[in-house]
Amino acid sequence: MSSHTSHLREPLVVGNPTLAQISDDVCAPMERKPSGLWWAAFSVAFTVMIIGLSAIGYEFYTGIGVWGLNKTIGWGFDITNFVFWVGIGHAGTLISAILFLFRQKWRTSINRSAEAMTLFAVICAAIFPLIHMGRPWFGMLWVFPYPNLRGPLWVNFRSPLLWDVFAISTYFTISAVFWFIGLIPDLATVRDRAGTRIRKKIYGILSLGWSGSNRHWVHYETVYMLLAGLATPLVLSVHTIVSMDFATSIMPGWHTTIFPPYFVAGAIFSGFAMVLTLLIITRKVLNIEHLITINHLENMCKVIVATGMMVGLAYATEFLIAWYSGSNYEGFTFINRAKGPYAWAYWTMVSCNVLSPQVFWFKKMRTSVPVIFVMSLVVNVGMWFERFVIIVTSLHRDYLPSSWAMYSPTWVEYTTLLGTFGIFFTAFLVFTRVLPVIAIGEVKSVSQFAKKGHAKVHPSASASGLDPEAMTDDEADGALEVSP
Amino acid sequence: MSRELKTFLVGVFEEEDQIIAATRAVVGAGLPVHDCFTPYAVHGLDHAQKLPRSKLTYVCFGGGLLGFLTAITLQVYTQGIETPLLSGWPLIIGGKPFIPLPAFVPVTFELTVLFGGLISAAGLLAFCRLYPGKKVPLHIDGVTNDRFAIALDPQGQGWNEARARKLLTDHGAIEVAYVGETA
Repeated sequence: MSSHTSHLREPLVVGNPTLAQISDDVCAPMERKPSGLWWAAFSVAFTVMIIGLSAIGYEFYTGIGVWGLNKTIGWGFDITNFVFWVGIGHAGTLISAILFLFRQKWRTSINRSAEAMTLFAVICAAIFPLIHMGRPWFGMLWVFPYPNLRGPLWVNFRSPLLWDVFAISTYFTISAVFWFIGLIPDLATVRDRAGTRIRKKIYGILSLGWSGSNRHWVHYETVYMLLAGLATPLVLSVHTIVSMDFATSIMPGWHTTIFPPYFVAGAIFSGFAMVLTLLIITRKVLNIEHLITINHLENMCKVIVATGMMVGLAYATEFLIAWYSGSNYEGFTFINRAKGPYAWAYWTMVSCNVLSPQVFWFKKMRTSVPVIFVMSLVVNVGMWFERFVIIVTSLHRDYLPSSWAMYSPTWVEYTTLLGTFGIFFTAFLVFTRVLPVIAIGEVKSVSQFAKKGHAKVHPSASASGLDPEAMTDDEADGALEVSP
Repeated sequence: MSRELKTFLVGVFEEEDQIIAATRAVVGAGLPVHDCFTPYAVHGLDHAQKLPRSKLTYVCFGGGLLGFLTAITLQVYTQGIETPLLSGWPLIIGGKPFIPLPAFVPVTFELTVLFGGLISAAGLLAFCRLYPGKKVPLHIDGVTNDRFAIALDPQGQGWNEARARKLLTDHGAIEVAYVGETA
């Protein structure tokens, strides 16, 4: 229950701001003119986005022959980037849904921006399967089952690639709905403090007439919990299904049952790194360091070291099973990964993902913002290489040595990858300008300011151990209740 | 809409504990509570106000069930049904059965979640009658920012203005005044 004043935990919001101050601090970046820094960042991101979109346009116009793929390596940057971006998105859902179900109150400061990040990352991810169809204006419709004039010929529900279509589109839709439902009360806050008519109008429409009515809050809290309960298995299913794109094939290096948990851990790992990259910049630029505190960053570092170890365990397990299975092909694939022509990629992956996160065992490192920032970039590089290693090193040495090949991505592929970063950051920068980057209502519910009564009650309760008399009724009820 | 606009006696508070205590007192005294308004979900206030549990959990279950049935029907029909009257287009792929239930699990799961989530969200908007462009009926300054308010219904049963004012003020209301609906 949010109203407990614990003596063991540090406060989630530093400096005990009043409720009005929280509204002011979160809304300030949306209400003032953007800073020079924002414009600089936006110009760079927007330019990069345009370059990326031009590369995609060129690829549409000419055909996917402009990529460096060949007969042996049929999946390269396209699917690597797809899996990379989907993985990035997973941290948002983990923070918003799974930490909610586990009553992790510290999520309240970071869930809004992490969910926004999820949406933008999934958009970036969805670009790649679409453009790798070559003629997406056909393919993007044909992947959905609808009555058509081709028979009707239906999609193949036995194919993991089709499962992926359902998983990704459901994931995007539910994440967007969850995000919007979370935004409604905050949009009402923004509406009620809007200075200009046009702002009042726009936020008035978006906030759907939210009045703060407690009858509505009861329904709202229920739906929030239901969506969290639905999103939790959903996020696990999404990367499970993405991993099945590989695991249900008979490619050595792909054909393994460890893939679903391994991919999910890797997704959370990379996603948290991206959340850290974004939030370290955001909290600094928007002056909200008392709301997104060093404790939040430290908690995320703990998640990174834990998931990094899981990923490391998966790498080791793959090797063990390749040897233990006695399959020549599996054995060769893994020795080739570590010692073959792409060994540099493999060892980049291992050092970025398994070795370097170990610095987070030290509190000094976990609480140093520059170290965290550098590490978040390192982890993202490592996780991008993980997908590259899985896809390209498995494909480049297939069953037939005469078709062995190497993969050299072209400028079009590099620019497209770069362009998705442009899309991602452009979207995020716009988001920081038009929507509250922190869930205002949720942060208020964990701040101590409006709970003076509880603060009076609790020191006595802790002095006499667990004194049920000192606990008010609503605290006792609240212990079992849902709070976002 | 030609709904008659009503006027309520509104008590405004600054702390969540005060509004919980005040609501409990007002409900206990049998005064007619129209609603409470708070900037965030105040836990315990629903009990104080004696609100029933939300029925949206049933809506969610129904939505999930609908998604589940849709997915099964869609997959079995398109992949496995071939009769003169009703026909999908069964294809032999990899020599596998036409209706392999394990292979249908992922899509079935996704559609269950999709329908469950979308219908719950739609249910929330319907239950609370929220829609784009809706005007807030009873506008009380600050309840989306840092104020907590109780609105009492003077036309309700058991109305006693003196008692209501006293209870609200005793529990720390910084302002007690009549506020009329505007939409």
